[in-house]
Amino acid sequence: MRRSYEAAPANQSASSPAGLVKHPAGSGMVRRVVIGLSQNGWTQTTVSFLAAVLLWEFTAHYLIDKPILFSPLGSIVKRAIELWQDGELQYHMWVSFVEFAGGFGLAIVVGIGLGVAFAASRFVRNFFEPWVSMLYATPIIALGPLFILWLGIGVSSKIAIVFLTAVFPILINTVVGLTITERTLVDVARSLGATNMQIYTKIRIPGATPYVVAGLRLSVARALVGVVVAELFGARAGLGFLIFTSAQNFDTPALFVGVIIFAIAGVASVSLLKWLERYFAAYRFQETGE
Amino acid sequence: MTHAPIKLSTRNLCKEFRKGAATIEAVRAVSIDVRDGEFISVVGASGCGKTTFLRLVDGLISPTSGTISIDGKPVKKPGEKLAFVFQQDGLLPWRTVLDNTLFGPEIRGGKKAESLATARGFLKLVGLTGFDTHYPHELSGGMRQRVNLARALTAGADVLLMDEPFAALDAQTRTIMQGELMRICRETRKTVLLVTHQIDEAVYLSDRVLVFTTRPGRLKEEILINLPRPRDLAVKFSAEFGRHCDHIWRLIEEEVRASMGLELQSAAGTHQMN
Repeated sequence: MRRSYEAAPANQSASSPAGLVKHPAGSGMVRRVVIGLSQNGWTQTTVSFLAAVLLWEFTAHYLIDKPILFSPLGSIVKRAIELWQDGELQYHMWVSFVEFAGGFGLAIVVGIGLGVAFAASRFVRNFFEPWVSMLYATPIIALGPLFILWLGIGVSSKIAIVFLTAVFPILINTVVGLTITERTLVDVARSLGATNMQIYTKIRIPGATPYVVAGLRLSVARALVGVVVAELFGARAGLGFLIFTSAQNFDTPALFVGVIIFAIAGVASVSLLKWLERYFAAYRFQETGE
Repeated sequence: MTHAPIKLSTRNLCKEFRKGAATIEAVRAVSIDVRDGEFISVVGASGCGKTTFLRLVDGLISPTSGTISIDGKPVKKPGEKLAFVFQQDGLLPWRTVLDNTLFGPEIRGGKKAESLATARGFLKLVGLTGFDTHYPHELSGGMRQRVNLARALTAGADVLLMDEPFAALDAQTRTIMQGELMRICRETRKTVLLVTHQIDEAVYLSDRVLVFTTRPGRLKEEILINLPRPRDLAVKFSAEFGRHCDHIWRLIEEEVRASMGLELQSAAGTHQMN
């Protein structure tokens, strides 16, 4: 049995198929079929999607037969095309994207930068740590209205909110990744005559990278939630704004357009980050792919 | 062997650690001479300072007083003449076997092509041909220690400092690795200073065994092991081997009992004070 690298935050993710591989249920035929299907994950995914579509349509036509409350997929697609042709959809998407990219980008720069400073200096760490713990525990969303008051109804207040919701997992994972470095690895480098700089570039940074990427993955979902909620508090444009105004106008299909785009953006960004995680920490994931 | 020049020597090596207001004396006045190509083991009770002694020799920590010299020249930081083999394999999990082995030359900025040939040679010597592109997690504990050894050898050191390198391995693998280590030392003519808990390991591998006292670690006795080389497992069943093991065990037991007695006394003392 292969040994795994210990203290891996990424292992906490539910995505690892290790359970299935290590404890195959049943015997003989059944086992082979179960494993065969699980290796070809697309089958289940497709079936699952088809089932969801059927359930959705069934609900829309027979269970909740009121267009104000629920929309069949057809009318959602139709509404999406209309909004696109008006140029409205692209505009909302662009505004939300700018808010997301600005806030998340800032969170990456500040999170990693401050994380490095925390790991390097005990003074900086002691000075800032109580505030970090406090802000991390505070539901930043609750400060949303305050940011709208301070920074106005435009993009900058949204960037601030997204930044604050996203920065802490990145910061904390960077600090953990840089400080958790196995003592032995540092000793090995030192015994081979490595300078402090080399210990950083060859041991600490590569050791911390998987943690930082895991932090990014945790943050990206929070950042997306930040975008929606920030726009709900008051905005002139954006997908959250689209959702909010559509609800007020009883334009339910348009509301679903906004929600579905957010869902797709969420899945896409988390998948991208998971792929990056695998790329940067291949040594951690290989053992589960047997 | 006894006429070989002295490779490594320490004189009155002392180390004290400060823990708050208290000072803990870990190593006291250890003076040893290791001849070129000699295999020396250091044994002693747990916490006797033998690992600290090894770290002092490698320059990972600096002595409170005393000197270390290599090839007759006193050194502050031994550097490239010595390589440390740690108990945990200490392989970088994000590097392949080959890149791990090349870590020493990489740190010192050696020539890539030259060190590549050296690394491949030593990987072959430790019996790991064909694993260049494997990652550490794909290897067994024994194989990882082989890579660890190949890395130390590739670093180009004359002296290997080994800190319980086989302690984390199972009994069978450990026995195999002991044999491998003897073969590798014979072929490369390296000088070895090995710290171990296992008395039979020390006797089996060494030319001399140094027994340390309990803390502070001092040199209690030096035992010459004159078993003929090359040695195989059969040597472990000889009367002489048993005598050596028994003698060393008695020395260590004496130390442990003495320190336990002291601890009991001091525990009783604090009890009375309360």
